[in-house]
Amino acid sequence: MEFVLNNLFFLLVYPGGLFCVAMGILLSGADRILVARMQRRVGPPLLQNWYDVLKCCGKETIIPRHARRGVYLFAPVAGFAALVTIPLFLPVVNGRPAFSGNSDLVVVLYLLTLVSVCGMVGASASGSPFAGVGLSREMVAMISYELPFVLVILAVSLKTVILSEAGVPLTFSLTEIWNYQAANGPLICHWSLIPAALAMLFVIPCEVGMHPFDVAEAETEICEGMLSEYSGKPLAVYKLTHMVKLYVMTALFYVLFLGGMSTGIAAADGAILAVVCLLLTFLTMSLPHAVCARFRVEQVFKFYWTWVSGLALVSLVLVFFGL
Amino acid sequence: MEQFWNEFPILSVITLFLGAFLTSLVGRASEKAGRVVSGIAVTAPLAMMLCLIRPVMLQGQIITYWLGGWEPVEGWAIGICLEVDALSLFFALIVTVAVFVSCFYAFTYMNHDDALSNYYTLFLMLSGSVLGLVLSGDLFNVFVMIEIMTFTAVALTAFRTTYEGALEGAFKYLAVGSLGSTCVLVGIAMTYSQLHTLNLAQIAALVPAFRGNTVLHMAFAFLFVGFGTKAFLFPFHPLAADAHAVAPASISLMISGVLTKCGVYGIIRLIYVLFQNANVVTVSYLVTGFGAVSMFVCVTMAFNQHNFKRLLAFHSISQVGYVITVAGLSSALGLGAGLYHAMNHTIFKGLLFLTAGAVQHQTGSLDLDRLGGLSRRMPKTTALFLIGAASISGLPPFNGFASKWMIYQATFTAGLIHHNLFYLAVCVCALITSVLTLASFIKVTQSVFFGQLPAEYAGVEEVPLSMRAPMWVLAALCLLTGIFPAQIQRFLLTPAVSAVANIPAYVDAAMGEGYAAAHGVPGAEVSALPVGGAWSPLSWLALLFSVTCAVAIVAILGSARDEAHEYISQTQDGAAGAKYDSFFSGEEAVYSQVGGSDLFWGFKHNWKRYFAVMQRWHSGIVNDYTLYGVAAIAFVLLVCTLAL
Amino acid sequence: MMIVNYVGCFALIALGVYCMVTKHDLIKVVIGMSLVDYGANLMVVTVGFHPGGTAPIFTISELSRASFFVDPIPQALTLTSIVIGACTTAMSLSLCMMLKRQYGTLDTREIRRLRG
Repeated sequence: MEFVLNNLFFLLVYPGGLFCVAMGILLSGADRILVARMQRRVGPPLLQNWYDVLKCCGKETIIPRHARRGVYLFAPVAGFAALVTIPLFLPVVNGRPAFSGNSDLVVVLYLLTLVSVCGMVGASASGSPFAGVGLSREMVAMISYELPFVLVILAVSLKTVILSEAGVPLTFSLTEIWNYQAANGPLICHWSLIPAALAMLFVIPCEVGMHPFDVAEAETEICEGMLSEYSGKPLAVYKLTHMVKLYVMTALFYVLFLGGMSTGIAAADGAILAVVCLLLTFLTMSLPHAVCARFRVEQVFKFYWTWVSGLALVSLVLVFFGL
Repeated sequence: MEQFWNEFPILSVITLFLGAFLTSLVGRASEKAGRVVSGIAVTAPLAMMLCLIRPVMLQGQIITYWLGGWEPVEGWAIGICLEVDALSLFFALIVTVAVFVSCFYAFTYMNHDDALSNYYTLFLMLSGSVLGLVLSGDLFNVFVMIEIMTFTAVALTAFRTTYEGALEGAFKYLAVGSLGSTCVLVGIAMTYSQLHTLNLAQIAALVPAFRGNTVLHMAFAFLFVGFGTKAFLFPFHPLAADAHAVAPASISLMISGVLTKCGVYGIIRLIYVLFQNANVVTVSYLVTGFGAVSMFVCVTMAFNQHNFKRLLAFHSISQVGYVITVAGLSSALGLGAGLYHAMNHTIFKGLLFLTAGAVQHQTGSLDLDRLGGLSRRMPKTTALFLIGAASISGLPPFNGFASKWMIYQATFTAGLIHHNLFYLAVCVCALITSVLTLASFIKVTQSVFFGQLPAEYAGVEEVPLSMRAPMWVLAALCLLTGIFPAQIQRFLLTPAVSAVANIPAYVDAAMGEGYAAAHGVPGAEVSALPVGGAWSPLSWLALLFSVTCAVAIVAILGSARDEAHEYISQTQDGAAGAKYDSFFSGEEAVYSQVGGSDLFWGFKHNWKRYFAVMQRWHSGIVNDYTLYGVAAIAFVLLVCTLAL
Repeated sequence: MMIVNYVGCFALIALGVYCMVTKHDLIKVVIGMSLVDYGANLMVVTVGFHPGGTAPIFTISELSRASFFVDPIPQALTLTSIVIGACTTAMSLSLCMMLKRQYGTLDTREIRRLRG
């Protein structure tokens, strides 16, 4: 009974469900305010994005004639479900993932992919030509950030991997990454991984689809691309997905590079996590948003496969040679 | 110890060849009789192979059958032998399942064609030869089966002689394929000149005494390239693309799901059992290198394709590249991952080819730039396609994810244990290839099944149940093998990997107890695959499902209260509505759809030089393809003679 | 003495491959395929040949430890392989025929609708 209640708590309240949605709303609200302040505006209230979601839920859902109804409605929901699963694998509570004893970085990578794919399939199912262009851009953006992301993952795993009792390496384990940092200090303090951390900072906004990299949802060029036909509740789910992604990506950075710090009190850990996420949001999303214009899609690709991947590769090679 | 199942290997091969004979006899008189015969002929081997799972996979027996009772005399194998260990049975299962599905699919799929008795005859001969190949215990029979396989596959590729490019694809396949077969023959001759035997088990026993023999190294090179041709590895991949794209879909399934697997089987048998040199660094680099290059080149080539099946063909080789890559790592985990992916590839690629066939059957076209919006007319096929696409892109919870996860583990572990940057680079390459695969399938999803429905396909109908049922079988397998990886590992992969590692058992089963020990054959049993890290798909799968269900119920209940309004984005004659005018700048809506091949402009633009080179390289001229093949032979020969 | 055979078979294979790579006429490509095949067959026979050996045709009573004959297995293999080679040639020539009918040419440089 206690086991079930515990898991339900993990699933619905902290660190899954409620907590990540709340964090998503807060972070995206903060982002809007921060951008506004940097542009000398006042900005919306902190909860504006939440009000938007609520408002969307009240609107009627229009299904275009060219759309495939089932896929069109189900895709955003499936994407959202995949996304809120990710926080359960991040070992933010005392270095343990909430749901199982151990967890895997590749699974997180693929769940993030799944979220994007659900978005794309939904957009595709809406039958709009703008959605077609949007999903093509989203896919190219995804190819762009995937290479540095993969390199970062390999660098971090290579640094922290240990052998199990049977002599088998425990690869890609988030728990091991956390344990390593608890023993040796956060990875961002290891100079060989600083380039990887920088690369990861660049990966975050592109994965979330924030402003300079939001090629897929360019309002002025392609009518919001993937979302152009969405309305009502599916749109609300999409918006929510977008916000939660903010939290998931920043929390992932926290786990990968700033992990291992635990006060032993869950609430205090949660507070630290929230502060770190907020800082990261400012650094990786609000700041570039305020100072950069939107990239073109081929520029995004070039930037990520040269500069960002280069940074991550430097880290990988340094770690490989034991530095 | 005589057991009734000892006869099963030979019976299953004979059933298929006998079926081929009978269909050509009775098929001409009545098409129905031909179907019944071929239906029986494909079902019986499947049943027999399933019966063999218990003795071979679970009890670890190795079944040998000497044709005509010609057992080895004084330690020399003179008779022809069938030898079924867990590795053979693993591939035999893949073959029989694929053959079964393909045959039943073809009953309806081929109904637009004539001369069907020829089709079934050739099809059953093809099936018999591939089954014979994986069950054979004799190198020369492997060659004969490869030749029958190539022939019937060529004939079936050109079966629709009037289809655009069918003859051309068949001829290229035959010309360059025959080069590969010759390689196998030369390799066999060289092996025989040194060892004076053709029995696989005896070769495996004698090879350790011949370490450093240059002729055997050359033989290895020839055999490797020969099997590589049959697996369509780089640089033989253009053949696969040509042959898959023009063959009937049920045959494309066979070529990509079964024929390439024979090449994979040959390579695994060659490097692990016969020559036992998978752990030699040069061989490992060679095999892994060829695999990685195939994997990457083919996935990028898929970006250029306008034809649904040609695109799938390139992906097919890309996925086989994954298998070969990890097979070359010479670790139990790598081999297990490779076998798992080989099995999964047959399942999901078969499914994708069959959906492509369904589209072709109903619309008559495979052109990615012309098709579109078919999900409205063929919703069930679309669902099946999405399952297949998710599997091949490695999205959880389907089987592609399970095996790719093992592949990443294997390559990363190899890089770690050997402290080798090359294997790490291969790991990165595998991960990136996976994303590019996904991109390709997003392209197909968008340009065939979603998007706008062209007027000419407005009357298209869903395929009949007789075609959907085989696809559902494969789709169910996609899901089942994805969510029960632990069971697959326990019942299929571990026995197969163990059979590969335990060479003395393989030798002794054929040549008599103690033969391996007398010749000093090394080998060890593998009791479990050393899978590190954490991965229990069921735990988080349950979670994913519960969340999905909960949210879906909420969303669908919520939206059901709304009416599904018809939102008119276009007028009946296809002109854009007012909403889009400013964006289309007067362009008509029919032209607003982004064609399949232009979808990833942002990606292709940055790689335009690479794509230009590749475009020129895949020139379509048979002389060029031969040249690439010869270059590959020369390269492998050079590496094997100089560096081994 | 055997060296001549080995040189011969590799020369045949090389010639055949040269023909397949450089000749743009489909028929010549087929001839090249056959040459490669003959080279391989010659090699298989040579592998089993013992200088001075007799033909491997014996009844059980005639066979003794002292009988010296050429290895019969490669000869059996060659027979099989020759049959297969003939089939390949027949098949490729029939494909050539139909290609000529469909494309109106036998030039490989023009038979390249499948490419890229």
